[in-house]
Amino acid sequence: MTWALLDTLARWLHLLGILTWMGHNYANVIQHPRYQPVAAHDEASFAAMISGALKREHGTFRYASLITLASGLFMLWHRGLLADVLSLSGDAAVIGIGVWIGIIMVLNLWFVLWPHQKKVLGFVPVTQEERVRCSRITFLSSRTNTILSFPALFFMLAGAHGMPLSL
Amino acid sequence: MRLPHDTLGGTLMAGITLTFLLLIMLLLFNGGTG
Repeated sequence: MTWALLDTLARWLHLLGILTWMGHNYANVIQHPRYQPVAAHDEASFAAMISGALKREHGTFRYASLITLASGLFMLWHRGLLADVLSLSGDAAVIGIGVWIGIIMVLNLWFVLWPHQKKVLGFVPVTQEERVRCSRITFLSSRTNTILSFPALFFMLAGAHGMPLSL
Repeated sequence: MRLPHDTLGGTLMAGITLTFLLLIMLLLFNGGTG
């Protein structure tokens, strides 16, 4: 029992660590697909580079969320598990909780974060006051998804990956 | 208004607490699996 619990905690930390670490590398590739020395830029082209990087980054992670959800649902459907998973039945409840949290996260990203983020980043012109208001909403929306990612990762992978949950 | 998850520590605590709450609920209402 104790080793199973420790093994699960280790797997959870393993996932959180690898996503923090490799996620940083992936974000770097999206922000800077090729090397450009910062010193060679004047202020205007530097601002354009930052703006382009932000657009690329936000577009990439938004669509990555859809790829994640679609590929996950495909795997479950292909295995004939989708109905059990979504209805949290029996063993399928473990991954089911992960799937439902994931769906909430995708909805939060597309329908709460993104409409406000567009204004914060200046993709949609708004007043400074509106921009400040939106920045609080995007922070909370983003932070909510960070918090939700802890149980999502646990129930998607750490807890369901080779360990019976009857501790 | 400042909230606990405005900080790094609050974020980690909220994430970990939520995970364990859901795990306890799963074990209580699903009777455990495996």
